[in-house]
Amino acid sequence: MKQIQKYFPLIPVFAAYLFMFLLAENKEGMWQLMSMLLFYCALGQAFNVFMGMTGYVDFGYVAFMGVGTYGMALSITRLVQYEFLGAWVLVIGFGLAMVMSTLLSMAVGAVALRLRGAYFAIATIGVNEGFRFLIEGARIWNGSEGMIFTADLNKVLGRETAAALCTYWADIMVLAIAALAAFVSLVYMRSKIGYALTALREDEDAAKVMGINVTKFKIIAFITSACLAGLLGATAWALKTPYVFPPEVFEIHYTIEAIIIVMLGGAGTLLGPVVGGLVYGISKYYLSIFLPGFQLLIFAPVILVIIVLFPEGIVGMLKAKTKGTGVERFVV
Amino acid sequence: MALLQLENVTKRFGGLVAVNRVSLEIEEGAFVGIVGPNGSGKTTLFNVINGVFFPEEGKVMFRGRDITRFPPFKRAPLGIGRTFQIPRPFASATVRENIAVGAMFGTQGHQLNVDRSLEVADQIIERVDLTAHRDKPAGTLTPVEKKLMEIARALAMKPRLLLMDEAMAGMHPNDIDQMVAFIKRVASEENIAIVAMVEHIMRAVIGLAEKVIVLHQGSKIVDAPTKEALQDPRVVEVYLGHGPEDEAC
Repeated sequence: MKQIQKYFPLIPVFAAYLFMFLLAENKEGMWQLMSMLLFYCALGQAFNVFMGMTGYVDFGYVAFMGVGTYGMALSITRLVQYEFLGAWVLVIGFGLAMVMSTLLSMAVGAVALRLRGAYFAIATIGVNEGFRFLIEGARIWNGSEGMIFTADLNKVLGRETAAALCTYWADIMVLAIAALAAFVSLVYMRSKIGYALTALREDEDAAKVMGINVTKFKIIAFITSACLAGLLGATAWALKTPYVFPPEVFEIHYTIEAIIIVMLGGAGTLLGPVVGGLVYGISKYYLSIFLPGFQLLIFAPVILVIIVLFPEGIVGMLKAKTKGTGVERFVV
Repeated sequence: MALLQLENVTKRFGGLVAVNRVSLEIEEGAFVGIVGPNGSGKTTLFNVINGVFFPEEGKVMFRGRDITRFPPFKRAPLGIGRTFQIPRPFASATVRENIAVGAMFGTQGHQLNVDRSLEVADQIIERVDLTAHRDKPAGTLTPVEKKLMEIARALAMKPRLLLMDEAMAGMHPNDIDQMVAFIKRVASEENIAIVAMVEHIMRAVIGLAEKVIVLHQGSKIVDAPTKEALQDPRVVEVYLGHGPEDEAC
């Protein structure tokens, strides 16, 4: 029973995702908004594994989503000729996305994780730009022309299935990735990894002296987070919109959005990315409808206010408020 | 064989010799005071012992192993614990979680899962009388409670050697007496050697220390049982300046 109780905090997270899914299924015209919200929740949840738990800000995060997108794109475009593979092409694509994002995160981590705090953040800013220019300049994977693989996807899955994948199943997969990221986060939080990460986030030197191999745990969190980003890129970008252009998949503003979502919801909390993703996504959506062009102008001060008023994020504040009450064990 | 052995350890920062050819031995379960004025190299010596700095020369042996080049996270599981001059709690984590971290990555770490570590933390919390603060974030404690928590966290590591960096600075004399008595009791029960660093010759620590090592400008000038050390003219000189004979020369 105690083992099961440990996973109670997943209940509100999964309930939120289920609610979003049901709302989108049953209410006309909601699917597009829900698909965007799910993407933001998944993005926040994946980013939180690294930034939330270690306190390190990775400005190059979108690069992992970018290479994940390329992983799926390469699998589809290169393997389309082997007809016997059928839908396995997508499975291989997910595998490739994970491998590529993991490899890139190991390369980046080996260098950048030796740096601390602000120095780490600055070192990572160049990662996605550098990677984008490498692909464009060296004409890797079609360079700046990118890849359009709608036709290939149709050939692999058949026209109807491919259309259903783009408009429906890709969003379901994003939901699955968000749920997976939440599950992984909680498993980490409840294990020694989570304790080690909390310790190193609060005081890296003290953590070392306490016997914690900080580099090891930072790398674990970094790779996990990157791997989830690769999956998210492969799904939300490659499968939902079957094309890939370097300037789009290495666009730094996705990293900024991820940072905002995590900070808004509560860094290092399980529920934070869901709350942050919803708040950010909904405000962005409605601001772009009612005040198009002004959303950033309005959003920036709102974020400032939230960060000043609740530096721990919305969920961080809720956590403090619910301390000692019955709901405490659900708000993590 | 001594628990900890330093052989001719030298640590330099550029042209400054912070620790100069220091050799010393700490026996199992001993209570040793390291004394010296500000800038005498005490903290650097501590940092060499627990691996924050590697010495340029000399050897650090712990339980018969050469650990001179071990990073701190490898020394802690061998049994070297440390508290800081200014407490460094993991502020957002609760007192219980802080102390559990000590257990989790200390000498017993490989046998303790998270749940067992939290149980160990609970036992220690009761022992140090922090029960009322168990589930508070460590950052919200008072300075004295933070010190107590840090000592509890270090004890949860089940160390063989505990380095205490000015552990009692800034505390009320009554609290110091209590705390020292407590540490002394736990140390003798669990056979932990304590090396306490003191800037001023503090009655409480000195009263309990079996041995005093005095550092001056990076060198060890006295290493003797407490009584003898305190009467040593060199110690008086370090703290009070030159005697009249010297001035005459």
